Amino acid sequence: MEAAVLRYRVMAYVTGVVLVVLCFVGIPLQVAGHPAVANDVGVVHGILYIIYLAAAWLLARGLRLAVKPTVIMLLAGTVPVMTFIVERWVTRRFINPALAGEARPAAPVGR
Amino acid sequence: MENTGPGDATVTETPAAPAGPPGPVWHFLLRPRWLGWHLLMVACFWGMLWMGDWQFRRAMAGNALSWAYTFEWPLFAVFAVVFWAKTIRDEFRIRRGEMPDPRAAAEAQGLPAGVTGTEQVSVIQATPAAAAEGDEDEELSAYNAYLARLNAEVKDRGRWHGLR
Repeated sequence: MEAAVLRYRVMAYVTGVVLVVLCFVGIPLQVAGHPAVANDVGVVHGILYIIYLAAAWLLARGLRLAVKPTVIMLLAGTVPVMTFIVERWVTRRFINPALAGEARPAAPVGR
Repeated sequence: MENTGPGDATVTETPAAPAGPPGPVWHFLLRPRWLGWHLLMVACFWGMLWMGDWQFRRAMAGNALSWAYTFEWPLFAVFAVVFWAKTIRDEFRIRRGEMPDPRAAAEAQGLPAGVTGTEQVSVIQATPAAAAEGDEDEELSAYNAYLARLNAEVKDRGRWHGLR
């Protein structure tokens, strides 16, 4: 569970950073006539996104997420800055409750 | 077709489907909402393959960058099929009672429908039980307040209206 969360988180941030670089550095440079950055970063993001898909998918399966949050998680890797927002949302809404439940199984109170 | 769920040909008897209409279990796949999802999936699948083909033509025309996307788009298409098959398989398991229904569990507990599982039960139980006990330590009551806040935060927001 923690491993899946960590994998997802790392991929969310790495993919997000690369996508931000692509969109806010690569594309302007491409428009200005220097397409090299956009080309290379674009390919890198393509490969990273596949890994991100796998990581997000495995976490969503583990959390037994419904289809809608799962799709939001998966597509977040294609929208600039969205991975960061979705990662926070998923953490607050799904990961933290699941981890809290896992940490204290049967006994209601007491530690 | 890729949207055919695994095992739908074999299910012919009618176990107690939760609040479902009579008939074989797989009939839920023919409901309008599901038909809409099927159509969407078919469109996505062929759309992705078409994008792959488009990139392949670009690659053949000399755009070396397109080679990466030539392989990526079909991969996405396959991924969509896997996603779809797993979703339908889960739905079958729920309807056969082999898996707890996250929607029912969520409504019973006031939890977001996306979150399921036995682990959630303890989270909710912790709050009233803690309220009953008067002498818990400060850290614990802070934790219980956190749980209550989490629960209040997600309450009624995550009700699932569509396909699970």
